[in-house]
Amino acid sequence: MTRLSLLASSAALALATAAGAQSVDPNLPEYQPVSGVSGNLVSIGSDTLNNLMTLWSEGFRTFYPNVAIQIQGAGSGTAPPALVEGTAQFGPMSRPMRGTEIEEFEARYGYEPTPIRGAIDALGVFVHRDNPLECLSLQEVDAIFSSTRSGGADAAITTWGQVGVEGEWADRPIAMYGRNSASGTYGYFREVALFGGDYSPEVREQPGSSTVIQGVAADVNGIGYSGIGYGTADVKAINLRGPDGECYAPTAEDASTGNYPIARFLYVYMNKDPNADLEPLRAEFIRYVYSRQGQEDVVRAGFFPLVKAIADQDLATFGVPVTN
Amino acid sequence: MTTSTDHDIPASGGAGLAGIAARESVRGGRRVRRFSADISAVGEPGLWALGGALALGIILIAGFLAFIAWNGIATFWPKPIEQVELRDGDVLAGVVRRGGTYRVGADVLPRLSDEQRAEIEGDLGFANRTLYQTANYDLYGDDFRWVSEFEVANVTRPADFHYFERQTWGVFIGRVAGLTIDGEARAFDPALMEREQAAARDRFHDIRQLEQRDIGRINHQIERERLNQRRAVLRQGEEAAAPTVAASQARIAELQAEFQILQTRVNEIRENDRRYRVQMEEVGGRTVDTELSQIVRYFAANQLSLLDKIGIYFSRWWEFVSAEPREANTQGGVLPAIFGTVAMTLLMVVFVAPFGVITALYLREYAKQGRLTSIVRISVNNLAGVPSIVYGVFGLGFFAYTMGGTIDQLFYPENLPNPTFGKGGILWASLTLALLTVPVVIVASEEALAAVPRSMREGSLACGASKWQTIRYVVLPKALPGIMTGMILAMARGAGEVAPLMLVGVVKLAPALPIDTFFPFIHLDRSFMHLGFHIFDVGFQSRNSEAGKPMVFVTTLLLLALIVAMNATAIIIRNRLKRRYATGQF
Repeated sequence: MTRLSLLASSAALALATAAGAQSVDPNLPEYQPVSGVSGNLVSIGSDTLNNLMTLWSEGFRTFYPNVAIQIQGAGSGTAPPALVEGTAQFGPMSRPMRGTEIEEFEARYGYEPTPIRGAIDALGVFVHRDNPLECLSLQEVDAIFSSTRSGGADAAITTWGQVGVEGEWADRPIAMYGRNSASGTYGYFREVALFGGDYSPEVREQPGSSTVIQGVAADVNGIGYSGIGYGTADVKAINLRGPDGECYAPTAEDASTGNYPIARFLYVYMNKDPNADLEPLRAEFIRYVYSRQGQEDVVRAGFFPLVKAIADQDLATFGVPVTN
Repeated sequence: MTTSTDHDIPASGGAGLAGIAARESVRGGRRVRRFSADISAVGEPGLWALGGALALGIILIAGFLAFIAWNGIATFWPKPIEQVELRDGDVLAGVVRRGGTYRVGADVLPRLSDEQRAEIEGDLGFANRTLYQTANYDLYGDDFRWVSEFEVANVTRPADFHYFERQTWGVFIGRVAGLTIDGEARAFDPALMEREQAAARDRFHDIRQLEQRDIGRINHQIERERLNQRRAVLRQGEEAAAPTVAASQARIAELQAEFQILQTRVNEIRENDRRYRVQMEEVGGRTVDTELSQIVRYFAANQLSLLDKIGIYFSRWWEFVSAEPREANTQGGVLPAIFGTVAMTLLMVVFVAPFGVITALYLREYAKQGRLTSIVRISVNNLAGVPSIVYGVFGLGFFAYTMGGTIDQLFYPENLPNPTFGKGGILWASLTLALLTVPVVIVASEEALAAVPRSMREGSLACGASKWQTIRYVVLPKALPGIMTGMILAMARGAGEVAPLMLVGVVKLAPALPIDTFFPFIHLDRSFMHLGFHIFDVGFQSRNSEAGKPMVFVTTLLLLALIVAMNATAIIIRNRLKRRYATGQF
């Protein structure tokens, strides 16, 4: 439930988005470089954030050419051990750290790792582009993808007719595509869309966000979940019923207000001693992430940008001065 | 068993067919069964099966290569931009990507006009559609759009549409609305734009050059001074190291000042660069204003002559093999990946060659042939069947964490907790691959050694040569071509392997090459990029899989070409050796 409360905190600051492309909060400051920033950084973690970290580091390096950033993304689960061992300074994760992971970190350093929220990602539920389906409730999603039906549906949903698609579609079986278990997306979807239940063994597990889309694009009966930015013209992101029972499209606005029910923050975890200031290299990187350029990179990576209020909150936890 | 005794086996193969024909006419009614039995005895079906299998194999390989080559070669060819007016008044402009026929859904039909419905019914409920690359991701939020034939009112190819390849944000398709040259608004003039864009790209490369070469050097020196300080403190203690630290602090301050001068120069060029801009207008009328230096390449796609197209085609290939990637690897070039692949493969050969050959020599020439050597041989053969990811896990656990961790503590304590060798890197990756391919080399080398005639060895020994002299001057030269074949197989396997590399040093983006102009020139601890991983990354990890698909084919083609080139080199060397030693025979 932390997810909803976090998202609700930005509810008051709904974005004005133009049709189509996402626009970045105009209140975010333009990034201004400072002097004396150099060194090496290593980032190990989520593959969802792989492209975004690459874009951030490309952007950051236009200001500080003598910064070298190495990026490795094999899954969110690889970030906590890398931070604990000190092999990485950044641990991008597509889900919050688990209690055990935080404990392990605390046992080594005596304090908890600090996350920044770099972007918002709405998980899209995708179907083939010819599928007339418009909207699903989370209970229906659960009944399609899970074997446990913790959401309270009466029966498993196996054909498109059971979710109200008519005509020739009614008897067609549903083919599910999902992520592999190392992925943070897998864990997040299970927790929220499956209500903590278990995946049906019939879900075809794919190695990457984009592979799910390619699977659904090639299978007329397919349905799959993936980051909203990975959608192509071959698939269609369907609307989901929010807490109020209305159907909401996965837009930046509805994702940040929590109306679209499966939206999440993307985190970058760091090892920050609460009694010491962050060194300039990492502090500047965080400032870059929360600048207009950094959030433009978020749009380029296909995620939703943050609003200034969240940026200020996170900058404050790091003791990085807020600039306007 | 009775049937088998019935079969008359022809006395000789040559008489077989004639014999069958003769018996067929005599025995009439039992012809079919007799025929099959006899023909199998001749070996005819076996021959057909073998030939068929060979043909199938060749067709599969040729088809696969042709598929990759066709997709890869066609990718960079410039295609025209179509402006599509839809019946609902919408207009879009894009490049045709691919098409398809589909059955129009029952939910779509009621929304259409009678005319459109009649059209679809005339085609038995099917319709054609086309996928357009509409680009302009910064304005539209997507790059591709499907358009059904029945939606289209009119298709034109306006001459003034341009295709812009940008440094960031990908492709833009639209018109040039205007130019800003040195802060002054100017009307679009193709000659002016061409000149100014070239100048802007030069500025862009100047900045890159300053950043990578000059600033890179300063950065490298600062980092070294910083490590010197830490090393001095660690070895001599805080107080004893104070003079060293002070000296290196002064040096760092000097370097910082130098850096500031360069940075100011870069900023000046950048400031100046911002005064040269282009305003691009998409088909719907919205404009995007960007620096001219952001335009990597642009062309009026509908006005190109054949010569222009060939020029663009090769300039794209050149960028692909000579430039760094941009837009999170989906565009630009793959130079770092080519470099990483070749460097890693060669390094692997350096490790695997002596190791494999020495093992094979001992096993074949020196070891007493018995149960132990058979067990070793069986083990080696089995190693060749171990899944490659297992080697990756071993490489990470043993090489990177255990060996690398120890090396770090002994030789690079000043860098800790940041690992130097205690993480994936090109050294560990090539060692892991050397382990993976060493069985191939051992088996091939052993076969080659075994094929050296016994008479040659005995002749050499009889002339008074010692065992080592015999091996060195008779056996090894004779076996060398066979050993080289093993090396070629190992290289082909190693260069194409990806799974274990992901664990031991291949990364999506490596900021520095493993070989550069800074001492000690070869940096074995660095992570690197690899073409095989690049294919996986672009194909399955990139945001826009539709845009990544052609790049997958091009990169695959390049990887194949690279492996063929490396193998061809090895084969040429092998043939030279063969010729050289052919005259040296008895």
